[in-house]
Amino acid sequence: MELVCLGVNHKTAPVEVRERFAVGTTKLGEAAQHLLEMAGAPEGVVVSTCNRTEFYLVAENASVALTNLQHSLAEKVHGHEEPFYHYQQRDAARHLCKVVSGLDSMLLGETEIFGQVKQAYQAAHEAGATGSILNKLFQKAFSVGKKVRTQTSIQEGSTSIGNVAVELAEKIFGHLKDSEVMVLGAGEMSRLTAQALVSRGAKSIIVANRTHDRAVELADEMGGRAVRFDEWLVELKNVDVVISSTGAPHTIIHRDEVESLRRARKYRPLFMIDIAVPRDIEHSVGEIEEVYLYDIDALEQLAEEAKVRRVNQIVECEKIIEEELEKLGLTFTSSQ
Amino acid sequence: MDRWFLIASTLLAAVAGLRGLLILRHGNMSRWTVFWMIAVMACQMGYLAVRGEMRGACPLRSIGEISVFLAWSLTLFYLLVGPVYRISLLGVFTAPVVVIFQGFALLPGRLVSNPEKVMNTTFWGETHSAMSVLAYGALALAAVAGVMFLVLDKQLKEHHLKSGLFRNLPPVRELLVSLERLLWLGMVLLTVGVIAGVLMPLGEDAIAHLIAAVGVWLGYLVLMVTKRVRGITGRRFALGAVALFVLSLGVFAFV
Repeated sequence: MELVCLGVNHKTAPVEVRERFAVGTTKLGEAAQHLLEMAGAPEGVVVSTCNRTEFYLVAENASVALTNLQHSLAEKVHGHEEPFYHYQQRDAARHLCKVVSGLDSMLLGETEIFGQVKQAYQAAHEAGATGSILNKLFQKAFSVGKKVRTQTSIQEGSTSIGNVAVELAEKIFGHLKDSEVMVLGAGEMSRLTAQALVSRGAKSIIVANRTHDRAVELADEMGGRAVRFDEWLVELKNVDVVISSTGAPHTIIHRDEVESLRRARKYRPLFMIDIAVPRDIEHSVGEIEEVYLYDIDALEQLAEEAKVRRVNQIVECEKIIEEELEKLGLTFTSSQ
Repeated sequence: MDRWFLIASTLLAAVAGLRGLLILRHGNMSRWTVFWMIAVMACQMGYLAVRGEMRGACPLRSIGEISVFLAWSLTLFYLLVGPVYRISLLGVFTAPVVVIFQGFALLPGRLVSNPEKVMNTTFWGETHSAMSVLAYGALALAAVAGVMFLVLDKQLKEHHLKSGLFRNLPPVRELLVSLERLLWLGMVLLTVGVIAGVLMPLGEDAIAHLIAAVGVWLGYLVLMVTKRVRGITGRRFALGAVALFVLSLGVFAFV
């Protein structure tokens, strides 16, 4: 028996091609059964996420199964260059382990893929589309995925500005359920950052924008409340996190304004995120003892450092994968 | 026998601290620190049992005995507070302090081999000694939490966020809450200790000691009331807790 993997992903195909291969989570079992028919194979699993669709097969003859499958899928790629990649034998097993470990993801080291592959495997298993080889392979891939995440730093650190902001907010306030957030400026960056904080349980969101209607719109979207732009200083008394991203050509938050509220705030920690260019918050605000001020450069640098740290972990992850594939003991020969 | 228990306990604390720091350098959290500290505590209990038997009273009669009792109290509060507030990193910071106190007690001349049996104990005298040293255990742990806060605050202010220590330190707010609770606990115990000190029969040399104790108590009271009523920055609160603890140790070393 031979192992084959055929797939399209974000590296080989644009979204308009990937979407043609996408399979809903409720249809994964059905898709696995259909795969067996298309390829004439006894075992198969279909993995489908927003960035990839992959077909894993066990067949008597890998080349024949691959040809059958490509032939069946040909009409879906009509008008586009060949978007498929394929692996056989040990290379296919290695690829699955990389996928499960997040090494092949758009966002290196992301963890969501682990659950998505697990779901795909379970659906195929329940549909009776898997057998002893794929069962063994996928179980191994899951244990490799866990090992890679626990023994390396591949998933550590945030790689987007929104997530860096959330990570820092959690480092300052712990659970965000007791934290109030104020958003100054209703642009896309502040929306994304605020959304990241809300998704982690921030207690409430206050939005202030020069165009009040935009503030109301964003506040409604976030389940918060809008205030007039000239009222932000009054609101600052109660908030824990400030996200500022206005289009103002000069600073709008000054040291003396923040200083004037310290007593009323009882000197509680204040996390200020300035993602505006030009900056909204006077640099010296960060010199106030209880204020933690981060501008766009600082956040981008942290995100970049996390990316570099993750890239530096790839070799270590691949070493673990190779060691585990050795232990797997499937008698695959290396393919071209 | 008491000395062997103390040596074992000090070595275990040294291992707990070093091991925790090494693991921390690799960016991970030592899950076993709490168990090492339980072993430290067990040996400390062995020491206290043997030494207490030798004295026929609570072993708090010499600077060496007070140091060990303080280390025991610090370990006790770590074990009570650390795991509850998910700040087990506190153990990595606590272990070196335990080593310092117990190492000091192990210096030649600090713990005599055959201590005198205590004949004239009084209830208030024993209560004063025990409660005061327990209070300093809680206040020492508050100082440790204060140091942790200061480290985290500096890293956050200067955007130095890459170290394993940063990743494993508990959040700022959690540290400040723990610090405040430990200070209140220490204050309550110290209050009982000071009241018992006023009620116990006082020799001439005890007056200065009691005045110093009241002075330290007032220092902590000002810090706590300021925090509660007026508010104070985390940095000043933590610095206050550390400074008051170091100051009180200095005072009692000489008074």
